[in-house]
Amino acid sequence: MPMPDRFRVSEFARQHKVWTSISLLSAACVVLPILSVFWNGLRPANENWAHIRRHMLWDHVPPTIRLVVFACAASAMLGAALAWLVAAYDFPLRRLFRWALALPLAVPPYIAAYTYGNMLSYTGIVQQTLRGMGVRANPAWFDIMSEPGAVFIFTMFLYPYVFLITRAYLEKSGGSYVENARLLGRSGLPLFFRVVLPISRPALAGGAALVAYETLSDYGVVNYYGIQTLTIAIFKTWFGMYDIESATRLGALFLAGILAVVVLERLLRRRRRYSETTGRGAPLKPVRLRGAKAALATAACLAALAVAFLIPVAQLAQWAGWTFESVTLRADFGKLAVNTLKASLLATALILAVSVIVANTVRMARSGLHAAIAKLLTAGYAIPGPIIAIGVLSLFIALDRLLAPLYAGMGRGAAPLVLSLSLAMLIAGYVVRFMATGYNAVESGFERIGMKYAEASRTLGAGPTRTFFAVDLPMIRGPLLGGAALTFVEIAKELPLTMLLRPFNFDTLATKAYQYAGDERIYQAAAPSLMIIGIGLASVFILHHMAGSGQK
Amino acid sequence: MKKNILFKLIAIASLTAVFATGCASGKAGQADGGEKVVNVYSARHYDVDQQLYEKFTKETGIRVNVIEGNAQELIERIKREGESTPADLFITVDGGILSSAKTAGILQPVESKTIDSQVPSHLRDKDNHWIGLSTRARVIVYAKDRVDPSQLSTYEDLASDKWKGKLLVRSSTHLYNQSLVASLIALNGEELTREWAKGIAANLARDPEGGDRDQAKAVVAGIGDIAIMNSYYVGHLSASENPEEVKVAESIGVFFPNQETTGTHVNISGAGLIKHSRNKANAIKLIEFLTNEQSQAAFSAANFEFPVNPKAELPELLKSWGEFKAQQIDFAVLGEHNAKAVEIMNEAGWK
Repeated sequence: MPMPDRFRVSEFARQHKVWTSISLLSAACVVLPILSVFWNGLRPANENWAHIRRHMLWDHVPPTIRLVVFACAASAMLGAALAWLVAAYDFPLRRLFRWALALPLAVPPYIAAYTYGNMLSYTGIVQQTLRGMGVRANPAWFDIMSEPGAVFIFTMFLYPYVFLITRAYLEKSGGSYVENARLLGRSGLPLFFRVVLPISRPALAGGAALVAYETLSDYGVVNYYGIQTLTIAIFKTWFGMYDIESATRLGALFLAGILAVVVLERLLRRRRRYSETTGRGAPLKPVRLRGAKAALATAACLAALAVAFLIPVAQLAQWAGWTFESVTLRADFGKLAVNTLKASLLATALILAVSVIVANTVRMARSGLHAAIAKLLTAGYAIPGPIIAIGVLSLFIALDRLLAPLYAGMGRGAAPLVLSLSLAMLIAGYVVRFMATGYNAVESGFERIGMKYAEASRTLGAGPTRTFFAVDLPMIRGPLLGGAALTFVEIAKELPLTMLLRPFNFDTLATKAYQYAGDERIYQAAAPSLMIIGIGLASVFILHHMAGSGQK
Repeated sequence: MKKNILFKLIAIASLTAVFATGCASGKAGQADGGEKVVNVYSARHYDVDQQLYEKFTKETGIRVNVIEGNAQELIERIKREGESTPADLFITVDGGILSSAKTAGILQPVESKTIDSQVPSHLRDKDNHWIGLSTRARVIVYAKDRVDPSQLSTYEDLASDKWKGKLLVRSSTHLYNQSLVASLIALNGEELTREWAKGIAANLARDPEGGDRDQAKAVVAGIGDIAIMNSYYVGHLSASENPEEVKVAESIGVFFPNQETTGTHVNISGAGLIKHSRNKANAIKLIEFLTNEQSQAAFSAANFEFPVNPKAELPELLKSWGEFKAQQIDFAVLGEHNAKAVEIMNEAGWK
């Protein structure tokens, strides 16, 4: 029996001020740098703005929209199709594909863009082999550095977001729908298009939103491929016109546009929430495929895995072999890996802690204000990294100024900057930027279990905190781990924040890879890139086993 | 209830852990306890820089702490850190950015007889707010089998109809193109440069894509006949681990434009002394070290850049290109015209 909302809010607020205040406090910390972007965007426009509006804003909007729409649509289709295959059917190597198809996530898209760009270039292995065989092919056919090429890169290396979420959803709760549809005689493609796609809409939307954010804030791929997106406009304004004010203004407009879309999506989703609560989620039992069908399913998964992981990794491995000696002589890979792990793990832990606290408060309080805060909390994902970075930087420098008397008391008067020269600033930056991956996973976990277990526990006399630890937390273990792995991999390959917010002498694998790739030395970038991929691979693998053991 | 306490303990512990790692790593880069350090904010990401810093530490006992990042972001960081900044030196590529750092008021004059004697005055800021470390030329490369170099003359000529559909260049987002256009604004004025940029955009063999190396490859692949690119990428191609890239370097010719007129566009990387530097003496020592003969030869050998110290030895490839006439304009002008250059390229449809 659901209680009236008003009663719940007041009861909740009275008894559990601690939860509310902790979540409000942490939300404030995360939201502050994002709000500062908005605040700066509200300043009066300067003399460059007219030019920017005329020649950058409108020219750069259509390519941005095309890129995002096509990348999202293609990732959603590919991710959903693969998720459907491994969830609904049994075929050779299915157990491997169940987790291996998430691996492309470990490849930073800009490294993939450079890798494919070079493989397909005139000096790359493809054209070189063709020339060796005496085939005269038009070099323009292999040109991947274009808008469709960028869509290809984003699709192949971001579809796992859709794949992971949709697969989890179908496996856990797609059973009854699919079973019924099968009883009614639907199978194969009609089943996929008429039943599977519609019922997985929330999962698809969640995954596609992550793809959209990643695509929007990307700089590396679009810069190398020459696509004039809004992010490029922001960077041109800042780095070319030396105008950080207008760049921030563009960033604020950009963010406002994205928030508008997010709110719209929320409104659309609200209507649909009904159907979810009435749905009887039952696990999906895979149907065994035989013969040609089984071979086809295996081939399809293998093809996706090859294009999105095996081929680029093999190519990187060859290049790393060419340059291994010269690069390893100069780089301490052990230290790079330790730095990467340290920063990523700390930030991931913080993100999950904040996500769990805030998401739990939001779902229990169920007020519009809380939900709005939660949405702002995850907005950092959509803003280009350097804009966020400046927000975080300003905040930490201000904090250092505030704490100066304390530092002086500790005998550090000569060097008043402490926090902003520490790893804490970078960690804070990661938290602001990557709340979305952690929070969305936790939120979807809470959505799935609903309130009934918590209410039962409360009826039996347990307080909300005890209920949280004894009932809620164990029940969202799967999504929590999934969110942790996603966030961890994201942070391990992150670049712009790491570049600006790191303390002295703090190199990570991502900055090392960029040091070379940014200077068009992709062969040298191969070794650190492979290590990033290795770390991602390990985390996906560990996650898979932890989640697996949790199910048994 | 026990769980509640446990929860609080975990929260407190994780916060202290973050703060503690913060304080611990915050120590790096600070000159407490009389340790000899110099703190560098650098936008140059080359291995050879790191090697030279290490050599400097060995010779002088002064530790070099580095934060590498994007130039404009680092300037913004230094500005916001204000008087508390730990930075002593700002190192970057591009004269325009160096002069924008000067304009931002974050630099101060370098006073050193050694530096004055090692670096010619036109490769330093006129108030010595920054000192050049190396230069690179923006040259024209051509397909040796299809283009007779006598057809090539100037940057201005690249906008003429004879190169329609034959020219390759990367996007206008890149600094190298922005500073080239800024230099042409300084030399030819805004109106002529506007027309020129339109001509360039109209002559392109394809929409701009890829980096400088990719333009050279496209020339050899036959997508276009000539390309604008930086000199040192030709060096990198010729030293590539991929034999196919070495072949590309061998199939293209390097042409230094505007030899009869205003000279080839040259850009500079340099080091600026931070206004609120706490380790000024060490910082100046590092610049002296980086501009000495050996370091300069090392820059050039590893990265195919032109040294600023005229005594430094050149690698064979650079020697083979011979002497050339460089643009004689104040690098500060590049900074002044950079925003205009971006505007002009945007308007011309140079993507």
